[in-house]
Amino acid sequence: METFEIKTTFLIVGGGIAGVSCAENVSFMCPGEKILLITESYLIKAVTNLRCLGKMVQSFEVEEKEVKDSKLNENVDVLEDSVIQVCSEEKMVLTKSGKKIFYSFLCLCTGAQPKLIQQGNPFIFGIRDTESVLDFQEKVKSSRRLVIVGNGGIASEIVYELGNIEVHWVVKDSFISSTFADPGAAEFFQKKLEESEKPGKPILKRMRYKGESMTSGSLKGAALGPDWHRKIDISGGKSKHSLEIHYKTEVSNIKSTENEEYPLEITLSNNKVIPCDFLVSATGVDPRISHIPTDVSFELGKDGGIKVNEMMESSVENIFAAGDVCCAGWDLAENWFQMRLWTQARQMGAMAGRSMAAKFKNEPIYQDFCFELFTHATHLFGYQVVLLGNFNGQGLGQDYEILLRYTPDLEYIKFVMKDGRLKGVILIGETGLEETCENLILNGLDLTPFGDDILNPDVDIEDFFD
Amino acid sequence: MVVRTYDEELKYIERISDCCWRIKKGFQPNMNVEGCFYVNKKLEALMFEELRNSCRPGQTGGFLPGVKQIANVAALPGIVGKSIGLPDIHSGYGFAIGNMAAFDMDNPESVVSPGGVGFDINCGVRLLRTNLFEKDVQDVKEDLAQSLFDHIPVGVGSKGIIPMNAKDLEEALEMGMDWSLREGYVWAEDKEHCEEYGRMLNADASKVSMRAKKRGLPQLGTLGAGNHYAEIQIVDEIYDKRSASKMGINETGQVCVMIHSGSRGLGHQVATDALVQMEKAMKRDKIEVNDRQLACARINSQEGQDYLSSMAAAANYAWVNRSSMTFLTRQAFAKLFKQSPDDLDMHVIYDVSHNIAKIENHMVDGKEKKLLVHRKGSTRAFPPHHPLIPVDYQLTGQPVLVGGTMGTCSYILTGTESGMKETFGSTCHGAGRALSRAKSRRNIDYTQVLDKMKEMGIAIRVASPKLVMEEAPESYKDVTDVVNTCHEAGISAKCVKLRPIAVIKG
Repeated sequence: METFEIKTTFLIVGGGIAGVSCAENVSFMCPGEKILLITESYLIKAVTNLRCLGKMVQSFEVEEKEVKDSKLNENVDVLEDSVIQVCSEEKMVLTKSGKKIFYSFLCLCTGAQPKLIQQGNPFIFGIRDTESVLDFQEKVKSSRRLVIVGNGGIASEIVYELGNIEVHWVVKDSFISSTFADPGAAEFFQKKLEESEKPGKPILKRMRYKGESMTSGSLKGAALGPDWHRKIDISGGKSKHSLEIHYKTEVSNIKSTENEEYPLEITLSNNKVIPCDFLVSATGVDPRISHIPTDVSFELGKDGGIKVNEMMESSVENIFAAGDVCCAGWDLAENWFQMRLWTQARQMGAMAGRSMAAKFKNEPIYQDFCFELFTHATHLFGYQVVLLGNFNGQGLGQDYEILLRYTPDLEYIKFVMKDGRLKGVILIGETGLEETCENLILNGLDLTPFGDDILNPDVDIEDFFD
Repeated sequence: MVVRTYDEELKYIERISDCCWRIKKGFQPNMNVEGCFYVNKKLEALMFEELRNSCRPGQTGGFLPGVKQIANVAALPGIVGKSIGLPDIHSGYGFAIGNMAAFDMDNPESVVSPGGVGFDINCGVRLLRTNLFEKDVQDVKEDLAQSLFDHIPVGVGSKGIIPMNAKDLEEALEMGMDWSLREGYVWAEDKEHCEEYGRMLNADASKVSMRAKKRGLPQLGTLGAGNHYAEIQIVDEIYDKRSASKMGINETGQVCVMIHSGSRGLGHQVATDALVQMEKAMKRDKIEVNDRQLACARINSQEGQDYLSSMAAAANYAWVNRSSMTFLTRQAFAKLFKQSPDDLDMHVIYDVSHNIAKIENHMVDGKEKKLLVHRKGSTRAFPPHHPLIPVDYQLTGQPVLVGGTMGTCSYILTGTESGMKETFGSTCHGAGRALSRAKSRRNIDYTQVLDKMKEMGIAIRVASPKLVMEEAPESYKDVTDVVNTCHEAGISAKCVKLRPIAVIKG
């Protein structure tokens, strides 16, 4: 086979949010340089409808676009291919189609893959990308009963959106949505789960490329966008809707049955047996790096991701990593921690892009301030949810206080306070407090004198700290 | 602190004119000067109700009513004249927002207080005029709003529209609008129509902490940030034709653009850093104040000087931000109307600062003195013939831009001679609110939630409204009442009223 050689200044691997943000930022900073983005799918992700909720917290949607329709700048070329070998000594990668690509700077944004509780079982689904959602949608239509395992964002979203099907939700905690919420917020959400009427939603067109066979795309495409579920109708057709939440339980056994009414039989840690049509495994993701052999191996972080410093540089020279594939290896700021989320994929991708550009131009830059404060905005159970700082007291042990304001069906506000200082916040509903809370956490002002009045509904704190 | 009944408190407050009240010494401990505040009938009711509520048992929270805050400021060392509350005053950190106070630079005891400037340093407003009329923009206003801050244009100027890396930022902090001018984003004449010509010369970027600098840089290369917004406005009413025409406003229906922004997180960090430093300085210099939030340092101390230099840098950065938005605005209009910004007559009418401290000369007891004037939620309003206002406005007095809250009316006022005498050339800045009733009638019930959270083993407190409010449904201080009060009191004069037709969030 003939070998093509390509030379590029910047090479970015991965067409997910991290990769695309990285490409956008490099292209913004170095408009004259050659940038190549390698993606395994025709579809790449683009951030749209970016809304600034505060100075730091932003909400956005993710759209999948065919490469040719994407609005990437002219100096970004996109190549549909996959990397099979990285040769860092020669500053070159080999691709599946046989190309040799020489780079000055390489950024790996290869994402993560769902941790399935059992691999290779056709009745166990991991939901990660649009492909898998569409398969899931098909599957739900013809099913009567399903089991969902996991207590994070995706599981919560699915449970809220499902209709006309019997749902068993298995959570290891004593409350739902533990990744993003606390028991109080879960109680606030619970009401929404009990409502049966949900607003209609636009129909998502299948953004599938023509003529391709139905591969089990779960490893190929990049991860889903936030709020994917709002556009996709996931209703079953067979059954009356019901939801049972199994708290403080885990799946202890999975048995495939033949010639039974249901193809799968799930046994829970409390010995309850649930026969079902299929199981959705939404228990988090693992960094996806093992499939790219490198001549020099990367130093890895605790979670198995590529360890990067505050400039998103890996241990191998001129190779950067961003998004789900990497592990934040710098000294973390007090109010920031890593979580494999859209928000962080975008932030890390952008940081890597700017960092590569700065290195290329030999300019000093600072680490972006977004790594000083954990921020995430999403929608759960029909509410806007904004998470700031150590919103669940992460890293504070038991040594903190909670201050709450809660109005059923309207808002849930939780301040995590330590030594009179605000350390983290959950804002559910339209509270208008995003920017004020960012500032209060970052300023680290002693709020002791205000006491509980800091959340007194009669006081507009957003106007006080002006 | 003295605890008095509402009726007792009222003995310290006395009307001196239709819309001005005096706060006598003794209202709060150690007052060096008297306080005063400006209100019309409607605002007066709100002001007193706030005080009455604070006198109820158990109301000793961290949120003091405006009158108390004015009086606490009157107790700061070195204050001269009066501690002045403007009509839009509302509770704020240390100083109320809408409180101005001047300190004698020649008195070694005099202080500077970050609480007297505010967190969003040099938060302010800029107004651009156009030669377009409402009918020209009516059909395209949405497109206009959409395109205004959509994209950062690439390839214009050498460094991008806003400083993106460490070196650019240092320069911008020191140069203010001169940086924007050098990079080609503003017109030379824009500077003329800006307080301080858009650059405070005492700015020292080395006094701005690394954290503040990082916090000020735009996140991820976007312009967007919470408090940035612009409004497309229409001239609704002209009160003073002669002054308005000096500003290039000749007819109702004319289109203007008002830009609101400040120093982003950078100002917040500068203020916070200074508060920490000053708490130490206060112990060392044995400075006592009535409220811990009024942390301050002697103007001549290292901490005082450092704050003034870093505050000036933050102010410069705010001007760069407003200039960037000016550039984007001009581009968007030019693109949509296919005319150059020059042909569209898109000049800056004026640019005012709402949160700032400046050294100015004023007459105190018949003698000219050099003062450090703190204006928090307050606008400088210099009279005609003042040497610090541009030649175009020598006869009209300095334009004062007063933005309402997003979506309400805005005004252009002009500075007056009596404002110069009474309020050190200061007037209001906008609408006001800090204590509101809007949320208090909510049905709040914590039982279920608390039950669920018990297991976490964390101490939990809950917030609830403590008072049954009186009749007044809203404590919102409407911008029209605010502006009218300033006009009646003579501390500024109404010139033009503007109404918004589209809001653009950055």
